[in-house]
Amino acid sequence: MLWINLFFILSLNAAELPAFLTKHSSDTLRYVSYNGRITYLQKKPGLLALVSDFKSTDVLNEKFNNDFRITGSSAKKRLIIESIPNSQSDLNFLKNHEIFVVDYGNSQTRKVGQGKSPKLHLKDEWLSYFDLSKKIIHLQNLITEKKYEIKPTQQLNPFFIPDIQMVNPQSVVYSDVNESGHSAIVSFNLITQNSTILYKSPHKGTKIEICRGEDYLGFGEFPYEGLFRNSQIQLSKTSETQELRGFSMLYESVNGDNGNMICLKDHIYFIKTTDQNSEINHRTTEAAKINLKDQKLEVLSNLKNVSQIIEMDGRVMIPFRGEFYVLEGNSDLREDKLKATPTQEEAPLDI
Amino acid sequence: MKTLPRFWPNQFYKIILGIVLIGLCLPSLSQTEPLSLPKTINYPGIIETFEKIIEIDRDKNQKKMNMIVQKGGFLPLSIPASDLDLDPDFLNSILLHSDSGYLRLASTNKCRFYEAILTDLLKNGEGKIKNIVMNYFAKGIRQSGFISKKDFLKKIIPEECPETQKNIQVFQVKTIKETIKGLDLKTPRGVDECKSIHSSWIKTSETPFLCQIHEYLKDPSRGEVISKILEQKISKMEKKYIKSLCENLNNEDLFCDEMMSSSFWDQGIEINQNQIFSDEICRKVMNSRELTSLQREVCLDRLKKEPDLCLYTSKESSGLRPQPDCDQLSNALNFSSLKNTLNDCPGKSDQMVVTNMGRILSHFNFKNVLMPQYPCHSSSSFLFYEFNKQFDNDENWGVEACYTDQITGKEICYKTFFSDITGGTDSYAGVVGNILKKTRGLDQSTVCEVINNTDYNPLVLRFKSGCFIIVESNFCHITSCKHKIILNDRLIDFIKIKSKSTIDYFPTDLGHERFSQTYMLNKDFKKSSKKINELADIKKFFKKTNLGLIHGIGCAEDLLPTFFRGYSLNQCSALPFIINGIIKNNEGDKVVLVTRTAVDNLEAPRLISWSSVFSSVRSYQKKHPLKLWTMYALD
Repeated sequence: MLWINLFFILSLNAAELPAFLTKHSSDTLRYVSYNGRITYLQKKPGLLALVSDFKSTDVLNEKFNNDFRITGSSAKKRLIIESIPNSQSDLNFLKNHEIFVVDYGNSQTRKVGQGKSPKLHLKDEWLSYFDLSKKIIHLQNLITEKKYEIKPTQQLNPFFIPDIQMVNPQSVVYSDVNESGHSAIVSFNLITQNSTILYKSPHKGTKIEICRGEDYLGFGEFPYEGLFRNSQIQLSKTSETQELRGFSMLYESVNGDNGNMICLKDHIYFIKTTDQNSEINHRTTEAAKINLKDQKLEVLSNLKNVSQIIEMDGRVMIPFRGEFYVLEGNSDLREDKLKATPTQEEAPLDI
Repeated sequence: MKTLPRFWPNQFYKIILGIVLIGLCLPSLSQTEPLSLPKTINYPGIIETFEKIIEIDRDKNQKKMNMIVQKGGFLPLSIPASDLDLDPDFLNSILLHSDSGYLRLASTNKCRFYEAILTDLLKNGEGKIKNIVMNYFAKGIRQSGFISKKDFLKKIIPEECPETQKNIQVFQVKTIKETIKGLDLKTPRGVDECKSIHSSWIKTSETPFLCQIHEYLKDPSRGEVISKILEQKISKMEKKYIKSLCENLNNEDLFCDEMMSSSFWDQGIEINQNQIFSDEICRKVMNSRELTSLQREVCLDRLKKEPDLCLYTSKESSGLRPQPDCDQLSNALNFSSLKNTLNDCPGKSDQMVVTNMGRILSHFNFKNVLMPQYPCHSSSSFLFYEFNKQFDNDENWGVEACYTDQITGKEICYKTFFSDITGGTDSYAGVVGNILKKTRGLDQSTVCEVINNTDYNPLVLRFKSGCFIIVESNFCHITSCKHKIILNDRLIDFIKIKSKSTIDYFPTDLGHERFSQTYMLNKDFKKSSKKINELADIKKFFKKTNLGLIHGIGCAEDLLPTFFRGYSLNQCSALPFIINGIIKNNEGDKVVLVTRTAVDNLEAPRLISWSSVFSSVRSYQKKHPLKLWTMYALD
């Protein structure tokens, strides 16, 4: 395994970030395509609609004031919809959500399971989610309907959800925590049903995040709230056929960063702690990105308390106190334009 | 540290010094004949000036003593106590030679002064005060005389300070242990409360006696036998507290610094109310379900040295983990004022409204009765259920035990909550018992026992007869609980649970506002409620009260971002929380709040910045159907 320590230039001259502007009220938005032509909206509790080509079509109409969450991937073939009944009055972090799959830009849904943190993998042909009541990882091929189950060992935290990433159709990696509280990355072979530990943290109380860029798999280790540990991000090159070939160090910090990594082709975005006071557990956190070509680190925001960053169809945003600030991608989608010839990405699926 | 060195004269000391100088330099105010000053006086520096003052004082007192002895010495016993006054020169000498902290204590009122003399806290030019010099009028002329401390106690104290006499009785060696146990050696929760505690100690009649104990422990040569006895009778924690108080009587900042920086784990050994917090952690650390006092002491010592021991504690409590490390927990618990004595298993809660409400109701002592113990979340269910029932809102509770009546063919349902208590409530054990009495002729005296499935063994004779509700604790939550009912070794399967778990914490539509928990807390339970949307509001609130708390709902993704990852637009997982303390950094420019979210264990509050709390409530407001602000102070 190759370990490289690199030195970075920290840029603290964060510019003022543009707010994300659309024709719709920001609190109704659930998914907006990069060019703004496809928008999924929660019109009211329980009703999810697709707005596209100046038409609105109902996608899901549920009985129990359901709230919806939508995620996609860079493959843009499918989207996943999570439906959460009674989200305002049934406050239960242990309950599973209904999971639906919809073709990208379409309104025909298909229920695929119950769980949390669903994720698309390998050109949107695979789906993973975690059943929080049974503590089982589900993997499902959306074309062949083939299903697999993996049981992580973690029992210490009832609210723990593993981070899951498929490397190739035979192999999946996920985060786990052993009985003494050390986090690890486990590689699981779906054919042989064997697992291997790829990395085990030397410290207790850290979380491991796994993400995938175009040709690499990244993992980050960050401390949980209230703990002061070092942070690090490591990378490994991936290919369709080969197993992972070891990780190399991309970033290290003595600060306890929040993490919440997003891996894109040329950049890794994450939330960095720019100032911390361990006496009273006070942190100043900002969105940052590492350029994978020159390993430069750049702090992008000046909001003092960035808690999350999200990626939606290539656009990276900071949700902050009910508003969204755009880190990457265009921010103003208010202008109406007639639809041009569909791009390859928007063309109907050929499945 | 903003405080001055201990030896530096503080403001109070300067006042005292001023009085002494006036007494010495303006002899016309004194009742005795004026003293002649030394022929030459040099004032090259303050030290020499003090030496001169002491010299003058010694001369003056010596002359006075000689004069009193010449005139007959002791006070005539016939003079009533009300006609006696302390001699001003004697007083000046005490002011000059005594510890400034004890002087502050003695200056609060006459009785504290007398007590400080009796307990040898005050000193004069001779050191320990043996006789007290008092003045009186005889035949129109002011006279002076001695009174021994013994006579002073017999003659002056009963008339002037009856409370002092009681304290002398209870601070005897025989009773000292019980007396100190009975005192509220309360560890403050926050600086404001600490200052108020310090101020009350200054005025309290027990303080001189406590400080006398401290002096014996500090300097055993005062009385070796007594010191040894006191060493044995007074605990480490009590000694530490008394030392901190008596050495900082004239400096509340230093007292509070010592109090707030002392480890919370030191308190766990002595103070029962804190044991719930440390015991949860220590059971796992010591791998023992019942802790002995020795185990507890060993464990608490380890918590101070090994901060990581607190990250992952016993599985039974099962809240969000890892918890903060022991150092941070100690800091948070030092500033936490939440009163709660029961573990409520947030990791088993499938309705966080009930968990949070249970904590609030327990803090405000809603039902001062024996709480259910099993399943461990049943205390929250019980309090929530009783609260809603009391205010005619039991329709809010959606858990029912139902069966079909064989005669009428109708389904009959009873409201219930999962718990092991049997009498006088709608506990599941009681409801099942009642249904079985109606349908299976169960004996009136028979009660259904709720037990964990791991404790149940059908082969054991005890389980062959009687009623048992066998719970699978891993799958037993507030609104649903996997279990089976065994009556006389036979499975009962006709009792079904119906469960609806929707409850409004804050109103979600105007038509049903009446049924929200916040409405009931405010209108029915009569707790005053104040909207909190600025840090200044929180500071003001905790300055005003240490009995209140702040509660609300925020998005988990903002409140605990490393635990709850956001990955989609407008994702917000509603998470109730309670804030009951505030901590500033040394510079005072950063503030964190002692926060327990509904997924956190009671013993593991987290320090969360105001900025994160504000963000979480603001984000939730955007998602809320009525766009309500959802953070309020209750007291």
